[in-house]
Amino acid sequence: MSLIKLTGLEKIYQQGKIEVPALRGIDMEIESGEFTTIFGPSGSGKTTLLNMIGCLDKSTAGEIVFDGHSINDLNSKELAEVRRYNLGFVFQSYNLIPVLTAFENVEFAIRLIDKHSKKERRDKVMSLLEEVGLGDMADRRPNELSGGQKQRVAIARALIKEPKLVLADEPTANLDSETSKEVLELMKEMNEELNTTFIFSTHDPQVMDYARRLIEIKDGKISKDQRRD
Amino acid sequence: MFFLKMAFKNLTRHKRRTIITALIIAFAILIYVITEGLMIGMTEMSFDNIINLESGHLQVADQNYWEDRKELQLKNLITPAAEIENKISQTDGFEALTRRLNFAVNLNNGIDELPVTGVGINLETDSRVFELDQHLVEGRMPEAGSTEIIMGAKLAELMDFQLGDYAIMLIRTEEKTFNTIDGEIVGLFNTPHPSLNESNVFLPLSTVQERLNVEDKISHYVVRLNDQDLASNAAEELSSRLSAPYQAYSWRDAARSLVTMLEMQDIETQIILAIILTLAAVGIVNTVILSALERMEELGMMKALGMHEREIVYTFMGEAAGIGLIGGVMGVIMGIIGLAIFNINGIDMATMTGGGDMTYGFPLSGTIYAGWELESFIFVFVYGVVVSVLASVLPALWAARKDPVKAIYHR
Repeated sequence: MSLIKLTGLEKIYQQGKIEVPALRGIDMEIESGEFTTIFGPSGSGKTTLLNMIGCLDKSTAGEIVFDGHSINDLNSKELAEVRRYNLGFVFQSYNLIPVLTAFENVEFAIRLIDKHSKKERRDKVMSLLEEVGLGDMADRRPNELSGGQKQRVAIARALIKEPKLVLADEPTANLDSETSKEVLELMKEMNEELNTTFIFSTHDPQVMDYARRLIEIKDGKISKDQRRD
Repeated sequence: MFFLKMAFKNLTRHKRRTIITALIIAFAILIYVITEGLMIGMTEMSFDNIINLESGHLQVADQNYWEDRKELQLKNLITPAAEIENKISQTDGFEALTRRLNFAVNLNNGIDELPVTGVGINLETDSRVFELDQHLVEGRMPEAGSTEIIMGAKLAELMDFQLGDYAIMLIRTEEKTFNTIDGEIVGLFNTPHPSLNESNVFLPLSTVQERLNVEDKISHYVVRLNDQDLASNAAEELSSRLSAPYQAYSWRDAARSLVTMLEMQDIETQIILAIILTLAAVGIVNTVILSALERMEELGMMKALGMHEREIVYTFMGEAAGIGLIGGVMGVIMGIIGLAIFNINGIDMATMTGGGDMTYGFPLSGTIYAGWELESFIFVFVYGVVVSVLASVLPALWAARKDPVKAIYHR
């Protein structure tokens, strides 16, 4: 069974009286454990597609099935529940909470699902921070970390609750090529180690090199879907 | 707890903004505490003045006289009797008893005439109940059986009287015939009770009874107790033991209009507090909106991670509570300092009334010393925090309901 199944997905934005189609009938299936990159030019609909898969936005037409359940008819509270327990997000601008330490930023995500004891939570967060190479920086606040370190914290935050799917919207856009490489290596490692499904949106060729599946979007449609071994 | 911890940490993002918003709340609390403190001081002083100079703790009178007592008619007077006085002396907390006779006087200086209240006092017992003798600024108390009088220095100044002058007092006897008393002014007093200074003359009771032709009748008894808080119950208990038409009245009954006025003042103080805290609430609303706008991407991230609207609202409410707590603590500290200043140094009533002689109906003058009550501090502190939290609810809801996509990309 696919983790995600999109059928005839359409999204039309209303700009005043003008209708702007962002997605024009996307059919796609993503299996568990995939490391997929969605690429395409600016305005092609990559981010919109990612938002739909991430239960952040609702489609105009078509169906999204996540882990065997259609999410089309869920209300905002139910969508929040899906995101809370099943999804992790990595953003281009990290979106860390500046008043919290690296440890607390990661802990924040696991607090929401609240099924661990304080000690378990601490051990889990510390072990993941060590895995992303920030074990000795747990007490630092985001303004004391470099861009790459911040993105590592964001990755740890996305992975801490062991989600079925991690969505990363242009995760290397604000990083230099060396740091981008490190971050991508880390994500790939996590994908292989934890079997977590990763979907990226990007137009960075370096990111595409790491992907095992490349989906190209043009004018709101899939123009290419290529798997690599 | 985590959300509360995060909320409190958020307060450190813009320390200056947090402090300024908290200061508005602190200022509101300060104003309330000072106003309330001065009100408490004024109330205590007013009650003391009424008890010590006007009504004692209890008054016993014919109930028909009591109803029309302000008209100063010589009707429904009491003929003193040992039986009544014995009953009065058995009252719980009884300390002293005196007899008084109030009557209408037209005070004449040969040129002008002024209606004032004459009070016949028993010179042996009056000082056990009242403090009038302690407020003499010139001269002495009258001698029993004489036509000597004392009056307020203010009244004397108004009527152009000096110590040793004779004041002509035009009175009407019980039979409605006119009579006069040529009273020698032997003492001038200046009490903290303004209306007493301006409109009362005191003279020996026996002289008054003789000139008014009322035999040994009095208008009322006045009783001093050892605790003013006993007065209401004592009045009720004593009334039940007295035979009709006599009745006992507590100083609160005598000061009914003042008590009502103070209650109104209290409502006024609450309204002032509500207005100032509403202004402070605007500050909170402003702070929450600014915080939400600045943290829009973070809010988007929180929603993406599956945080519920309710949890986001709690976080902002926690921040507002934090501001309220900081403002509350600052306000209470400032209030304690302010009250201490007004409690030690006091404030001249004239300063409060714009330098004039207006007392706004309060039976007090001179320097007012602020009082304080722990309940006021607790009330205003809690009120400040609650107003802060409530003010944050709507802007927090607005922030929490932002579309996650728009929030993440700050559209």
